Amino acid sequence: MFFNFIKRNSRKTRKENGVYFASLIISIIAFYVILSLGEQDVMIYLKTVESDAVARLLLLIPMLYAVSLIFVFFLVFFANKYQLQLRNHEFGLYLMMGIKRSKLFAMVMGETLWNGLIALIIGIPVSLFLTELISLATSRLIGMGIIGHQFRISWVGLGLTVIGFILVQLVAMFILSFKMSRKEPVDLINDQKEETQRVLSPVWSIVSLLTGAVFLLGAIFLCIAYGLAILYLRSLDYKIFALILIVGIAGTFMLFRGLGSLIGAWIKHKSSSSTGLFVFTGRQLQENVLNQWGSLAISSLLILMAMVSFTYGISTALNNSDASSKTADFTFRGSEKEIVSVLKSDKLEPYVKEFYAMKLGHFRPADTEDSENEASGTFSWSGLLESVSSEVNSQEKESLLSNLSVQDRPYLISLSSYNKLLNSIDQSPIILGNDEIALYSDEEWSHSHDLLRRVLQSNPIVSLGDKQYKLTSKLYTSNVVADRAITLSYALIVPDDIYDNFTVSSQDSYLWNLVLNFDFVQEKGLMQAMYEVDELLNTSGLEYESYLSSMGRQLFYTVAGSYTTFYLGIMFLIIANTVLGLKFLMQQKSTRHRYSTVAMLGASVESLCSSARIQIWLYFGLVISVALISSIFGIWSLLETFPNSININHGTSTIVISLIVFVVFEFCYIWMIQRKSDEEIKKIKEIG
Amino acid sequence: MRISEKLLQVKELHKTYGKGQSETSALKGITFDVLPGEFLGIMGASGSGKTTLLNCIATMLKPTSGQILLDGQNISSFRGSQLAKYRGSKIGYLFQNFELLDNLTARENIVLPLSIHGENPKKQVAQLQKLAKQLDIEDVLNKFPSQMSGGQKQRVAAARALISNPSIVLADEPTGALDTKNAKVLMEKLSSINHTDGATILMVTHDANAASFCSRILFIQDGVIFHELRKKVPGESQNSFYERILTVLAQLGGGSSNVL
Ligand SMILES: Nc1ncnc2c1ncn2[C@@H]1O[C@H](COP(=O)(O)OP(=O)(O)O)[C@@H](O)[C@H]1O
Ligand SMILES: [Mg+2]
Repeated sequence: MFFNFIKRNSRKTRKENGVYFASLIISIIAFYVILSLGEQDVMIYLKTVESDAVARLLLLIPMLYAVSLIFVFFLVFFANKYQLQLRNHEFGLYLMMGIKRSKLFAMVMGETLWNGLIALIIGIPVSLFLTELISLATSRLIGMGIIGHQFRISWVGLGLTVIGFILVQLVAMFILSFKMSRKEPVDLINDQKEETQRVLSPVWSIVSLLTGAVFLLGAIFLCIAYGLAILYLRSLDYKIFALILIVGIAGTFMLFRGLGSLIGAWIKHKSSSSTGLFVFTGRQLQENVLNQWGSLAISSLLILMAMVSFTYGISTALNNSDASSKTADFTFRGSEKEIVSVLKSDKLEPYVKEFYAMKLGHFRPADTEDSENEASGTFSWSGLLESVSSEVNSQEKESLLSNLSVQDRPYLISLSSYNKLLNSIDQSPIILGNDEIALYSDEEWSHSHDLLRRVLQSNPIVSLGDKQYKLTSKLYTSNVVADRAITLSYALIVPDDIYDNFTVSSQDSYLWNLVLNFDFVQEKGLMQAMYEVDELLNTSGLEYESYLSSMGRQLFYTVAGSYTTFYLGIMFLIIANTVLGLKFLMQQKSTRHRYSTVAMLGASVESLCSSARIQIWLYFGLVISVALISSIFGIWSLLETFPNSININHGTSTIVISLIVFVVFEFCYIWMIQRKSDEEIKKIKEIG
Repeated sequence: MRISEKLLQVKELHKTYGKGQSETSALKGITFDVLPGEFLGIMGASGSGKTTLLNCIATMLKPTSGQILLDGQNISSFRGSQLAKYRGSKIGYLFQNFELLDNLTARENIVLPLSIHGENPKKQVAQLQKLAKQLDIEDVLNKFPSQMSGGQKQRVAAARALISNPSIVLADEPTGALDTKNAKVLMEKLSSINHTDGATILMVTHDANAASFCSRILFIQDGVIFHELRKKVPGESQNSFYERILTVLAQLGGGSSNVL
């Protein structure tokens, strides 16, 4: 009997607060998605190559989880606070009818549990499906489907999701019902009246004058924060960063604090000539803003954070798609004899297509006898520096110049070994003329490559020892070794005699590149093939790095970066929108009688619905537009701060994609709230 | 010609709430007319069906049977936009608890019916000023309801009911939430507007004092009209009318067995 009662009440709650219920389900999904990260195919694979970094990331997850729990706690707390307030009258009546407090308490808790259970029953299958989808999508995206996909359920994740979710709800409800249980029944019964008859305080006009000033101050603060962000954030000074945060947050709060009176002034200005429900719509909006400026500011800041997170997440994900091209599969370091003996062994032979020495070493002044000749021991980028200097000023130019000037002992790469590399990837070899050498730069330094290619057209001169060499007009960027850990910013490809002359290196420190048998790779898939060979090499005692781990590292940063930021972004967005939506619907509910009065005065249902729809648009619009303006500056400074991780070409597409994702999300949400609001208005019975 | 003389005709009005066992008959066949310029009062004990009657006329309730004609038009046939036009422009409504929108200023509240019906409130500034003066609410026009007294609120509500020059103003216990002094002020204002502008008012009340301002009073009991009082046109003082009302009320209070 009691249980049926609980079931009936919770069904009512779900129906009346569909938005809130939907948010609960989304938060369950988000919980599971983040908690099961460790069991995702990508991560399981990454654990084998990057165990340290993965372990560190997995340490971060409990923190993210805890933060989300706190967020969801507040969501549950505030949503239910209003809901319970609306039901106070009902509770008061129960008490008057002689239901014991303990029973009432059990009822509220029971309803919470039951609703939580239903949310879990819906949410968990969806989250399992979603993680599957993410898992599949990532292994697709990374390519080759090599990681090998397997259906997995993270039982720990599932357990934590259920426990965390139920616990947060119970704690929030416990606090709320505890507060409620201390009120007298009479107060409870009267409480609702108070809520519906809530009026704006008489000191309103004085306050509104003040708040007008506050609004202005808020706007100024925000502008200062924006300016600071653009001017100084690049240097990543923590003091400036803190200042920007404080000023920006204070500005946002003040802006919304003062916004209400601004809307009031605008309505006053317009009201004498407006028709339709303009005044009603405007005043409802104004009341919302005046009463809820705090929530509006918080939501706006959350949306801003979501936007920045999305941009960062998307750009990290996009950057992966142009991961470095593969030139060799493995690179060994050690003596020729050892390496060759292992690679030629019966065990490895079938996997190997070819291997070759990659000779590279620092420029070192030949310790010649004629030490009186100073020039023979020096190196200079002279001609190249000059040519670069004469280019138009740009950030790339500055960083290129400073990078080059610190490199007075650049790496030299022997022509023959680089040609072998080119040959192994089916590219035509370099042919150097007399007194000609070529410039090499790693793909990771691609931000300067356009500039370099332009400059190289004029074949600038560099001097090596006492001789001067022309640079060829082609820039070479194919990675010298398999591992990305060795990156050469700018190096020179020189004929072997010059190489021998200017580098002092023992044969032992040569690097050896190994290229795997193509058919084998084709058959097994790159990742699997390398993995197999890796197992064999592991026991050989050789020192080596593989493209696998280099790629794994890259992949790790991509996956970790985009996954966590996406997660946070979605969390922020959900919380912000749910808070906004709920606040709006609550206000609409508590001002029901106004809608019926206006209907009595002759407004049609359609016009009332459209008034509420406009209110919702404006209500969300105010928050979103402030957040968007802030996020322009936020993303701008993000791009400035991490120019390497977000390359500018992707910058625009990143912003466009995040905007689209965001706009679609918001439209769905607004549409949902509007439908709910229509429903509420049609429920007002007098309208008939 | 006779039709145009009668502003409002209520014919054989029945209203039954609920179905089956819980059925209650609130109106059991009520018939009466209202002439233009009349100030008609409706009195009756609590639960006698006054509010139900008013709500039917205001189109907030659908009668079970019977007809209501305003200017000869059957209002129960109204739908959609016709209905919206009827509410707020052909009738004005005055509630017991004012029902002002507490987030709108008095001025905004008053002109709301105009803007709802697509009229530019600017054109009605003169009308607004006149009403504000008549009802003595000029100083509160820019205030919010929370900054006004109950009497002022109801007078603002009266201005809102009158702003669009409705054919008839329906008032359901407009003095119910006011103290005697404010009630008297409101009734004087309504009565003077009725006299000078010829506004037709249909008022439900159980307050004999308020009723004594009317020109005619219908007494309802158990869903039917049971008595009618008219103020004698030239000369009857308000006091003597009041006495007569009290007499009828005493009869009513004695229970229906005494009546017939
Ligand atoms: N919405 C309703 N549902 C059921 N019965 C109602 C409803 N409204 C009024 N009644 C009943 O109809 C009768 C007349 O009520 P009402 O018109 O409010 O009387 P009055 O306004 O004269 O006090 C009463 O018996 C009342 O209980
Ligand atoms: Mg009544």
